[in-house]
Amino acid sequence: MMFDPTTARALMESHYLVFAFLASLGTMQITVSISGIRGLWLTPNKLGTRSLGVALLATAIIFFFAQPLWVEGPWAEGSVEADSATRLWGTASLDELAAARNVNDIHGGMAGTNQAIWFPIGAALAFAVSAFVGFVTSKVSGSKPLTSDDEPVGLEALKSRNYFEILPASWRSFRSEIAVYWRIRLAGADGFSIFRILFRRNSG
Amino acid sequence: MNEFESHILIWLNGLSGNVKLFDDFMRIVASDYLMPLMFSMALLALWFLGKTPAQRFEYQLATIMGASALGLSNIAVWLFNITITRDRPFVDYGDQLNLLFYPPTDPSFPANPVAVGFAASMAIWKVNRTFGWWMFGLSALFGFSRLYAGVFYPTDVIGGALVGIAVYGFTTYLRRFLEPLVGSFVRLMRGLGVA
Repeated sequence: MMFDPTTARALMESHYLVFAFLASLGTMQITVSISGIRGLWLTPNKLGTRSLGVALLATAIIFFFAQPLWVEGPWAEGSVEADSATRLWGTASLDELAAARNVNDIHGGMAGTNQAIWFPIGAALAFAVSAFVGFVTSKVSGSKPLTSDDEPVGLEALKSRNYFEILPASWRSFRSEIAVYWRIRLAGADGFSIFRILFRRNSG
Repeated sequence: MNEFESHILIWLNGLSGNVKLFDDFMRIVASDYLMPLMFSMALLALWFLGKTPAQRFEYQLATIMGASALGLSNIAVWLFNITITRDRPFVDYGDQLNLLFYPPTDPSFPANPVAVGFAASMAIWKVNRTFGWWMFGLSALFGFSRLYAGVFYPTDVIGGALVGIAVYGFTTYLRRFLEPLVGSFVRLMRGLGVA
């Protein structure tokens, strides 16, 4: 192995972030088109949003696994064998492409814990992009702002509004309901609920 | 039993090397990235899939259960690994196997990737049977790919599946310890406009 595993890991992490972002964006578009959450659509119609979602998901997978063809990394042509200890730095050949990403985490691959850090960042970015594009789309098409607390909140409200319109009412609703929700659920919780035990002690 | 499953493993792995396209497909399926991301995507999809507020709340609780079970499966597998140290098949039968994947350094039993997949699939299956069966299929394919690649014994894969299912059961039990925190978290997310 003629490279530093931390350099290889940093490269893998940057690739993985793009992979997680694109795949999350695609998945999000497919699912919000099914559940009718228009405020997160990247296109104005259902079929377009779903098709874009499928395309983004497919692109994420193809792009991630094909990247070694043009990006230098621990997959140099001729060095890609099952054991990643003998890898060299360079671009992969088409013949070895399928195995290029199979790098042990001790040689610069990503461990599960590492993926568990980067995946939520990619998913959060995907939500932010969806919310922003949904906001721009609604401004272009001109939707009415949310005015009443009786209106639906959260994702349900996003069926007909954009994210920035639903946020104040959603937050107000959370603040006004959470104490009641907590009390009711606490009363109905199992006797061994940690919070039930704690709060009973405090009140007693 | 060990000899019998070794025969199965050697036979299965012996199928590799004939059709390169199939071997390459298995290499990608067996990778550390594709299937784990698919499990995460499935849980993410579940978060947004509900059509009514009540169904969405149920699905979102299932997403939290699935993500928690996925994390706890790793701990459960680690506990097994420090208790039972079973060598990987390529250590015992290296000369008879065509290794398609890098040789992992952790013990063989139970199969961590399969445990993680089955834990996430169980959470999905509990609220949406069709989606859940698809996820069980993907988890099984993940396990098969690692078997085909020569890095797990069949009982490692079966053990991993059982660990994943058991950990999911434990996670639902654990949730009852933590109520009403889990439901309140979903409410908080709704307050922030993401649930």
